[in-house]
Amino acid sequence: MAKPAVIVVGADKGGVGKTTVSRTVLDYFTANNIPTRAFDTEAPRGTLKRFHPEVTEIVDVTTTSDQMKIFDTLNTATANVTVIDVRAGLMSPTLAALRDIGFLDAARSGQITFAVFHILGPSIASLDEIAETASFMDGAKYFLVKNFINNTSFFEWDQATYNSYFKRIKNATEITIPKLNEMAYEQVEVSSVPFLKFVANKGPGDETANYSFVLRGYVRHWLGNVWGEFDRIKLTDIVGSKDKGFARPGDE
Amino acid sequence: MPRTPVYIVCSPRPDVGKTLLSRVLSEFLILQNGSVLAFDINLREPSLLDFLPRTTETASIADTHSQIALMDRLIINDGVAKVIDLGLHAFDDFFQLADEIGFMKEAIRRGVEPVVLFIPDATRTSATAWAMLRKTFPGMNLIAIDNEHVLHGETPKNFEGVTPLHIAALPAFLRSIVQRTNFSFTHYLRTAQDSSSELHQWTRANYTKFRNLEKRLKLQE
Repeated sequence: MAKPAVIVVGADKGGVGKTTVSRTVLDYFTANNIPTRAFDTEAPRGTLKRFHPEVTEIVDVTTTSDQMKIFDTLNTATANVTVIDVRAGLMSPTLAALRDIGFLDAARSGQITFAVFHILGPSIASLDEIAETASFMDGAKYFLVKNFINNTSFFEWDQATYNSYFKRIKNATEITIPKLNEMAYEQVEVSSVPFLKFVANKGPGDETANYSFVLRGYVRHWLGNVWGEFDRIKLTDIVGSKDKGFARPGDE
Repeated sequence: MPRTPVYIVCSPRPDVGKTLLSRVLSEFLILQNGSVLAFDINLREPSLLDFLPRTTETASIADTHSQIALMDRLIINDGVAKVIDLGLHAFDDFFQLADEIGFMKEAIRRGVEPVVLFIPDATRTSATAWAMLRKTFPGMNLIAIDNEHVLHGETPKNFEGVTPLHIAALPAFLRSIVQRTNFSFTHYLRTAQDSSSELHQWTRANYTKFRNLEKRLKLQE
């Protein structure tokens, strides 16, 4: 059996699309037949749980009991992959907690696969976040995610400054999430279904829905591009799956 | 259930006879099937609408709302043939959208048969657009229209080996007749006293070609 894998998706800044990226990751694993469970730290509301209720549990990652719920079950859970959607402001505290409980040491020694998707916002504060987060990344796969889904322009960044931050981190890899048509994004939000179900024209209970063909097409195309990025970083290999990825949205 | 055809009459060039072809085809489909739904996607000057106002709607792909209004109807297998008079200014955007949202593949899956009727001229723009369509939509029904009035019997670059659907040129005096907005080809066929007249033969010949095209599409099913 492959060793357990934990993927943390987070940023200290709010509104940069953490949950959206988590949703695409869950859809990607679903399409590649990789059993996955998710924890939504946005207690009590839980946006991720709204879209993926079957596999998602809402937790307060700052409490010991919920930390136990996540990390003490890594070896016993039926799902080998755990995705944690860390709410705004909790990225650094969560990583500090992981260090304190010895999780980062376990990752460093190769007992656990640990990956961080750090969602970057357009402000210079995001670059400071990189420096802060990087100190925890020894032994982890670190991905810097530029999220353009909400038309972020990253206007505040000076490329040279960004490069100087980027180069400080060994093995950091960039991922680009492209823009999705606004109306398509809104329609998926309203429908409260995973992107994959929206593409397949299914409602929350797998019933046939009546979504616009055009909007479904936009989502399929966009999700295909996002998954292309996950294929590029060999995400299925990272989590130790024998499946080689390359599933596409809308594949029967 | 038989497939519902969606004819896309297009060219990236002006004045090659898109609207004329759309008109003749729409009138043929009404005569043959009793119904047609035509869409006029000319961003600057709607024209098919002027000739066939009862069966034509203006459409656009300029924003998502308009795209939904058009494409979500084209994808329905309702037995009513569709004709799109695609203006040159919308050419690139339409096919880019069709590619992005997977229109051709989804159409086939739902029992809709897209048929692109491409009217080339001798320019490089036309040759490039033809090559783009062949590359982007392999396996799609892509038919070149040899409009004699445009090509004058020449075979343009990139079209060697292609069997086009030939549309004979109309003499100038007949063109001035058919360009009247109240002129109907089918009405003319039914009422003209002289069935040997050039316009009668021209219309009949084109209707026959469309009928053969429909038969060919049915045989493919």
